[in-house]
Amino acid sequence: MAVQPLRAYDGGIIERRLRPIYDWLDNGNNKTALQEAEKVLRKTPSLQAARALKALALLRLGKTKQCFAILDDLVKEIPSDDITLQAMTISFRESHQLHKVCEIYEAAVKVAQSEDLYTHMFMSYVRIGDHCSQTRTAMALYKLTPKNPYYFWAVMSNVLQAQTAVDSTKKGILLTLAQRMVENFIEEKKMEAEQEARLYIMILKMQEKWEKILDFIESPLYEKLVPGSRAQACIPYLIQLGQWRRLNLLCKDLLWDNQDRWDYYMPYFDSVFNLKDNPDIDIDSNVDDTPEKCHEFICSIIESLPSGRPLRGPYLARLELWKRLSKDGDPTSLLGSGLALCVQYLTVFANKMCAIPDLKPYLCILPQSEREEHCRDFLTCLGLDENSKVESPSDIQRHCNCLSAWRLTAPIGSAEEDLKIATILKDHYIRCVADCLVTSTPTEFCAADTYAILAAHHFYAAAVQDKNPLHILEALHILELVTNRSPSNFHAKLLLISLYNFLGITEAAEWIYDKMDVKHIQLVSLGWLHVARLAPGLWLQRALKRVTAACSFHEHHDRDSVEQVTYAYKFGTFEKVVEVRAWSARIQACAWAALCKRERALLSLVVNPWLQQEQLLPPPHPLPEQPTDNRDLNAIVNWLPTGNTEQQKNNSFQQDVAYLRLKDGLLSCLVLCKECADSKSLEEKSNRLKELRSCVDAFGDALDKCRELCTDEPLSVAAPLPSRLLALVRSPISYRELYSSAVLMLGEVCAGSEPEAAVDRLRSALTASRSQLQERAQPQLWENRDALEFYANYLECIGVITYLLGMCHTPDLKKSKKKEKRSPEQIRTIIEALRQLNDELQETITTLIQIFENWPRFGDLAGSRTFTTNCFSGSFNSAVCSKIKQGIVGVMRDTVTILEKKIEYLKSLPASSQVSHQV
Amino acid sequence: MTTIRPFTCEDMLKFNNVNLDPLTETYGLSFYTQYLAHWPEYFQVAESPSGEIMGYIMGKAEGHGENWHGHVTALTVSPYYRRLGIAATLMKLLEDESEKKNAYFVDLFVRVSNKVAIDMYKNLGYIVYRTVLEYYSGEQRDENAYDMRKACSRDVEKKSVIPVTHPVRPEDVD
Repeated sequence: MAVQPLRAYDGGIIERRLRPIYDWLDNGNNKTALQEAEKVLRKTPSLQAARALKALALLRLGKTKQCFAILDDLVKEIPSDDITLQAMTISFRESHQLHKVCEIYEAAVKVAQSEDLYTHMFMSYVRIGDHCSQTRTAMALYKLTPKNPYYFWAVMSNVLQAQTAVDSTKKGILLTLAQRMVENFIEEKKMEAEQEARLYIMILKMQEKWEKILDFIESPLYEKLVPGSRAQACIPYLIQLGQWRRLNLLCKDLLWDNQDRWDYYMPYFDSVFNLKDNPDIDIDSNVDDTPEKCHEFICSIIESLPSGRPLRGPYLARLELWKRLSKDGDPTSLLGSGLALCVQYLTVFANKMCAIPDLKPYLCILPQSEREEHCRDFLTCLGLDENSKVESPSDIQRHCNCLSAWRLTAPIGSAEEDLKIATILKDHYIRCVADCLVTSTPTEFCAADTYAILAAHHFYAAAVQDKNPLHILEALHILELVTNRSPSNFHAKLLLISLYNFLGITEAAEWIYDKMDVKHIQLVSLGWLHVARLAPGLWLQRALKRVTAACSFHEHHDRDSVEQVTYAYKFGTFEKVVEVRAWSARIQACAWAALCKRERALLSLVVNPWLQQEQLLPPPHPLPEQPTDNRDLNAIVNWLPTGNTEQQKNNSFQQDVAYLRLKDGLLSCLVLCKECADSKSLEEKSNRLKELRSCVDAFGDALDKCRELCTDEPLSVAAPLPSRLLALVRSPISYRELYSSAVLMLGEVCAGSEPEAAVDRLRSALTASRSQLQERAQPQLWENRDALEFYANYLECIGVITYLLGMCHTPDLKKSKKKEKRSPEQIRTIIEALRQLNDELQETITTLIQIFENWPRFGDLAGSRTFTTNCFSGSFNSAVCSKIKQGIVGVMRDTVTILEKKIEYLKSLPASSQVSHQV
Repeated sequence: MTTIRPFTCEDMLKFNNVNLDPLTETYGLSFYTQYLAHWPEYFQVAESPSGEIMGYIMGKAEGHGENWHGHVTALTVSPYYRRLGIAATLMKLLEDESEKKNAYFVDLFVRVSNKVAIDMYKNLGYIVYRTVLEYYSGEQRDENAYDMRKACSRDVEKKSVIPVTHPVRPEDVD
């Protein structure tokens, strides 16, 4: 956060002296900033601004105690100059004490009233969301400086109070008050900005005073403040009031001038269908109150357009009319079959890439039998078929659109059929490459790319049916070729990532992901596609790096978001105040962010060889009550008629949230373990142990309960892979037993009771689990992903057990044992049990190392099929097979290194004789 | 076939089909929210009937005196929805808004290599006002930008669009 003051300070000398401190702080050189501040303070020891900056430098150096001491002294002195207050504000903000900012300004305005001070005070209340104090401050500010924005800050604060009020009477009163405040201004002719008018509409909207809104929109004042937008602004309120006749005429007028505006067609249809259902005998003949008139209107628009460049609007409007009519009747007598309309649309717009996304919603609602029976009509409507070899880019576009529409309407084929068409499509693409018809630019896709992408979808469909990874390899080969020839085609890249991850080859997926420069909000919306797959793909080191980056984004947002609301006030964009607040809340409650924070802590335990207890990452904030789903599941182009249904999206999200809760439960147990170990008194320790026991039980019960959520969704190349919940909960390994005995072991050791039983339980659970490990070793490529996830879950557990066992050997613990006055014999028994556990753990890890060292490289795949590389004379070599091999080698090397270090660490733990000597 | 509506925060979750385009920059969250808070009327999205983002424009009004102008910060259209006149529709919105604000001109920066975009802007009445050296930083080498301009009706004498013949450095752009 930049520290530079917003405006030059009056005292030039002071400003000059402070300047270097600001510069060092802004450059992140806090140490020099501190020295500089001390230098200034030697000359002027009481200079508040210098002390405030010194406090900030101290805070950023981690010396919070010294920082707070200075701030406390300053608070008592009631500073009222801008520089000091702003520097203090930053310190309070960065130390999460936002309420203290309000306090310093409250105190300051009592000694020196100024517009600036009140403004800062208002913003300080915005940051903590104290709307009541906002209103009070804004009114005081307006009294001091009667400027419109300040008055409307007060109005807006009342609106927010109303919005957050639980009591409906209070809500009503506040809204009436806000309304009256604005109306007073209107009467006094003081309203002067568009956003003020919008705020007034917002207030009326919250009270559902639709008529009043319409009156206002039609007033000269509205036209003056928001010129040229009256007609469009009326639409939502005419709908609310059911003024269908007016709406109908208005939309018709708008449509005559804007034949391609969907936001005018939709209310137009609303009006037609409402008038149809509630006929009015006095109706004006210009009003379209029947589907026939509506159709006539659409046709007249089509006819009015200049020939040669048809607009999509009216054509799609006809499809929309068909859709609405078919809801409660038979549209065929008026419009003919929907299928014919769709085919007609394709015929006219097949040269545009948008034809398929435009048509898709309508293709999906055609009766399935009709759609499937006539699917080839889409393919052949332009005189082409699947084998046509077209030559020009525009013909390729047309051909691809016909093929896509065919794919969207045809019945689901057998694997054999999918393979056949996939091969034809692949050959089309390769022919285009060979004939130099792939002419992409850094910004434009190439029409022929769709051949390859469609082919990849068909290969995928065949692979899923046959459970044959070779078809996936075919898809990967052709997509690698697309990314080579059309580097800007991100759809091919997204598919590649999805398919490499499907096979569990995370390293190859990561390589493409890295090149795509996914950042900021995309870390949230696309996290499901790749970053979520790194840990289950066993690339733990990289997973930790990527989730840490996602966490940084969220932490930055958490710090920053409150400032964004202050901007909206500053610029008087009141609608955005509401929007930005809601948005910040949504991102703060992001399920993926919450998972990343937990994964970061847990992965650190697994990845770092000897994480000491003090290094356990701080517990993340509590889980959001209602975690939000912010995944962009439409990122990957989909050619199935149903697409990802809402139901599938919801199910996968529910599973992800359940998984998140499990991870949260596990981490809570570990945090309690740490607290247990840190507790000083035995009483405290036994209280913690009680908490720990119930936490462990809750975690175990949740694990069992999650089985109910484990439904299998059909695999789709465009949807997330099955939730991690499934592999965890369905694993033959009893994680309930492993985790709970490990956590209880630590608790019992800490609390001075007898841990032997828990240690024994853990040891036998480990022994039992080891026998399960071999079953997934040496997977076929098709099972590779599942097998990796199986071991990833196990590795995480091993990481946690190693960490807890390490904690059992901390000095703290020995002290507690001493206090407990265990007999030397008892201590020996405990230590012997721990040693045996350590041996067991090392043996288990050794088994894992052997499994990973012998993991198949799938090197024999290269010769198993003739891939695209051999099919044309180009020099491209997609190297899919070697990417797979290298991916496995790389990930296994990383994992083995992690495990070897774990063994090293376990060996370093004090052997029994040493410990007993210490004890 | 388009719905034109103001860009909202939630659009950021679904603009991947536009923003994954290699020449479209994805900025930090606060960059978008600041534009939304400051110039909401300049931040509009074109949405398809199925609810996909076809493209969007973000811009601002800035400058003093005769330099008071509308600026296009980003204009981008999804590869699936190109050559449908969407960019022109969005540019017209921004120009109309600049007219309402009494601006003298509208300007924008474009990579000198982006011929498709440059030709489109020329068709919309923009001229190359000047070249800005190494405006875009790149992995291998930096790239120059054209500063393109179109005069608004307030600039009666079209003084704002008399090209500057010598190139300028980014730090000299006001």
